[in-house]
Amino acid sequence: MSDHNLTHGHDDHEHEHHEEGFFSKYVFSMDHKMIARQFLITGIIMGTIGMLMSLIFRLQLAYPDMKFPFLEGVLGHWAKDGRLDPNFYLALITIHGTIMVFYVLTAGLSGTFSNLLIPLQVGARDMASPFMNMLSYWFFFLSSVVLLSSLFVDGGPASAGWTVYPPLSALPKAIPGSGTGMTLWLVAMILFIASALLGGINYIATVLNMRTKGMKMSRMPLTIWAFLVTAVLGLLSFPVLLGGSLLLVFDRSFGTSFYLSEIVAEFAGGIERTGGSPILFQHLFWFLGHPEVYIILLPALGITSEVIATNSRKPIFGYRAMIGSILAIGVLSFIVWGHHMFITGMNPFLGSVFMLGTLIIAVPSAVKTFNYLATLWQGNIRLTPAMMFAIGLVSFFISGGLTGIYLGNAALDINLHDTYFVVAHFHLVMGSAAIFGMLSGIYHWYPRMFGRMMNETAGQIHFWLTIVSAYCVFFPMHFMGLAGVPRRYYANTAYDQFNVFVDMNEFITIAAILGGAAQLIFLANFFYSMFKGKRSVQNPWDSNTLEWTAPVEHMHGNWPGEIPHVYRWPYDYSKPGAEQDFIPQNVPDAGQNDPMEDAVGLPKVSVMSSESVHA
Amino acid sequence: MKIFKLLLRTTLFLVLMFSLVSGLLAQSAVEGKTLYQANCTSCHAINEKVVGPALKDVHKRREEAWLVKWIRNSQKLIQSGDPVAVQLYKENNESPMTAFEQLSDVQIKSIITYIKSESEAPAKTAVIAGTTAAVGPTDAKESEFTDSINWLLVLISVLLIAVIIYVFGILSKIGDIEGKKTINWNSINSKLMLIFVVVGLLATVWEFMVHGKLTYFNEGSASVHGEEYDNMFMITLVITGVVFIITQILLFWYGFKYKADGKRKALYYPDNHKLELWWTIIPAIVLTVLVIRGLITWTNMTTKPETSSRNIEVFAYQFGWNARYAGTDNKLGRHNFREVGKVNPLGVDTNDANAYDDIVVSELHLEVNQPIEMSFRAKDVIHSAYFPHFRTQMNVVPGLPTRFNFTPSVTTAEMRTKKNDSNFDYILLCNKICGGAHYRMKMKVIVDTKEEYQKWLSTQPALVAGKVSNSPVAMN
Repeated sequence: MSDHNLTHGHDDHEHEHHEEGFFSKYVFSMDHKMIARQFLITGIIMGTIGMLMSLIFRLQLAYPDMKFPFLEGVLGHWAKDGRLDPNFYLALITIHGTIMVFYVLTAGLSGTFSNLLIPLQVGARDMASPFMNMLSYWFFFLSSVVLLSSLFVDGGPASAGWTVYPPLSALPKAIPGSGTGMTLWLVAMILFIASALLGGINYIATVLNMRTKGMKMSRMPLTIWAFLVTAVLGLLSFPVLLGGSLLLVFDRSFGTSFYLSEIVAEFAGGIERTGGSPILFQHLFWFLGHPEVYIILLPALGITSEVIATNSRKPIFGYRAMIGSILAIGVLSFIVWGHHMFITGMNPFLGSVFMLGTLIIAVPSAVKTFNYLATLWQGNIRLTPAMMFAIGLVSFFISGGLTGIYLGNAALDINLHDTYFVVAHFHLVMGSAAIFGMLSGIYHWYPRMFGRMMNETAGQIHFWLTIVSAYCVFFPMHFMGLAGVPRRYYANTAYDQFNVFVDMNEFITIAAILGGAAQLIFLANFFYSMFKGKRSVQNPWDSNTLEWTAPVEHMHGNWPGEIPHVYRWPYDYSKPGAEQDFIPQNVPDAGQNDPMEDAVGLPKVSVMSSESVHA
Repeated sequence: MKIFKLLLRTTLFLVLMFSLVSGLLAQSAVEGKTLYQANCTSCHAINEKVVGPALKDVHKRREEAWLVKWIRNSQKLIQSGDPVAVQLYKENNESPMTAFEQLSDVQIKSIITYIKSESEAPAKTAVIAGTTAAVGPTDAKESEFTDSINWLLVLISVLLIAVIIYVFGILSKIGDIEGKKTINWNSINSKLMLIFVVVGLLATVWEFMVHGKLTYFNEGSASVHGEEYDNMFMITLVITGVVFIITQILLFWYGFKYKADGKRKALYYPDNHKLELWWTIIPAIVLTVLVIRGLITWTNMTTKPETSSRNIEVFAYQFGWNARYAGTDNKLGRHNFREVGKVNPLGVDTNDANAYDDIVVSELHLEVNQPIEMSFRAKDVIHSAYFPHFRTQMNVVPGLPTRFNFTPSVTTAEMRTKKNDSNFDYILLCNKICGGAHYRMKMKVIVDTKEEYQKWLSTQPALVAGKVSNSPVAMN
């Protein structure tokens, strides 16, 4: 049932903004909706590259003796005669990890949806600083270019693992990738941090200062809460990685010894290095690295909360508990970084402290899971692709979260550290869960971003193929880890006792190829629908939040007239007595004149109502 | 319905193709074990490129004198501007070969002789059995398979893209005919949810039954503290297993049960404080139990035992391990990183009296039921000493000494009987990414009975043999 007016909307739009040039509209745009799309498409491109890399090294792991001549065509001298070079294998896993963690799941996920949703859901015309917002994207773009260009330098890209522990990453003599490739990695990372900080400050400022009248903190959708806490985490932790990276630059280029100790001159570029500590880098890295996990996960959980509530046609269960869990996870994430370092030789007492903090995080995580289940219970569930991916996220969050209880236990970590058990754990809880959150968000807000609908059936097929292949890839890895198979091994052929996993490795690779192929359905759907998809109506999911009160066609300032006022929390779904099964936030209750008043008959959710709120 | 059938067919076709490919690939040969001894195997093999190039017929390609110089210190040769050396360095992505200054001319020449004999021997490497013992012997038709597989991969990609374009053609046509809903996807998907969780949980059970046997828990731990470790693991497994099953069932069951049917309205149920309190408190209590249990285990594993332990130092370098025994005095001699690599691979201070009776080996022997105080040292980058069977791991960090103590409790011979595998050996693996040949950096570990251990030890020369009055005798 397409709205007749909408079919002409596009043309009107062109006329309205005829003064805007191509560059200011599509390239150096300062409009948050365009920047969101730029983040998303860059993220999808990076994600595709990262996934293709994983397929190449999965081929190597499944068929370590096989020659793949086509690889020589793709990788040149890195795959002479079709056999992957062991150094380049390490480069691939390093860049795969870097791309997925930072470029896809940080910038691609948080960058896209924070940009799109913060102004639209809190009721603001744009970000607090549109210019900084534009800079944020272009720093990210530049960073992506630098990272990808490192694939073409002598010695190859950085190869010390995405965690780039020195001395391996500090000394070109240790591994070829620690030459120019590593320098470019550090440059890319510094640019990335600049981008993340510019974005983060903006998100916080917008959420705190630019909410519309009536949008109290206690009425914000959980997406906004998640983006806010994410931005705070990034702002507090990324600078530490910046410092850590700069010290690594000094060690590599200026002969200092922050991270190097007892390294002879011959191995360390002609200067003997002593007195530093390689473990110091790990502390600095993981001080970002652990909050980073939640920087990735929280936006995905925020998206899921919104999608599950909307499509269950039910209020999210325990709204206040959900906010409390987000805050608790945010705070705790800063005191648990040491669980990545239980076996670095740190004082066992320190290990105990980190273990305690780590396992406490399981409590708010459990609360979130139970609240999702309670939201589904007695719902009226519409299994849209977004909803299915959200349910998939919860499933991965459970599967991967539970193995966190093993790894967070310092004692158990001794034998599980750096094995495939860890690979399985974080690919489920951080990789798959966050990717599912991102996909859920894309399917849900695609009409908001592009004014058209994605094909639902293709989306559902995409979901089933992806969840099945993801479980087939990562679940068996637990067992490899429990047999002591280390991660980051080019081949297991040197160990007879790992021969029992030859079949499993083949199975995993085939599942990964199938999973990769399934993403083609998504990519085709995404780009096809952009031009040929069914036109969207204004509020296709019967949702309550403010972004669906804005016109389908994008415009500067988001709303043609006054910004709507907010009279209620965002989860009035299936409210008894109401005509429809949803009541948008901008609809006042009978007798409610001032948006700041609590609506009649609403559940009391205004814990923080004393906070001042201005439009 | 048409789309559904088409997609079903496509999926079936793809599954068929993939199983075909995997079947073909499964028969491929696994690399041989016939690698030669000494220092080279971590980076080289005879017939294939590892980190360094394949060594087959290297004696024909280069002169012996040149080879000796190259092996002793390739960087020196490159710096001297030798064109062959510079070329070789470039070809191998400027990854330098380890220098072997400690080897004499005679020793290097003996290595070359060995390579010569291996090059002339018929290629054994290609023969060794394929995937697992169960698959049985396979012939090495590697290249033939390779070609067909690559073509298949290309074919599959092309077909896949074609199918997707075709499907979208149909889908968009269907989308044009509005209001005509032939398939109730909501209902199909909700049923699929149910099928998914049932099949998924059955597959999980199957995995535990089949793959669970492949884990190290199957034969039990080979160290004293390992038993406590395994108990801790099993407690966690039971607790998380119960939570896993219940929550996954509920999740997908709700997805099935509460699907929209157009007749019902959802229940407006925004919160229930009592319920929320319960599911905060119960996980908190369960985790408290796990934390306390874990802390006890962790403390037991990391505290130094009171009994007198035997001191052994493990030394890691790119890409291998050495071990140093403290000898009769049970005191390790001092070391200095500047001395490493010349005559003295571990950089032991040979003027220190404690070092005289130290013993340096490249195969780790441990005595059963004898507590070990193991200290770790690295030459170049961070490594990690991982002994999966002993439930022991510790990072090996240059410039930062680390230690771990444990007591092996099962001899190699006993473990071989237990596993019913006469070739089984304990291993020490490197478990921290350390460079190109990281994946081959290992050391054999043998747990002996007291007698066997004494016998082995008595054959090992002391570091400064001239200054040790008696022939080396094991302590205790």
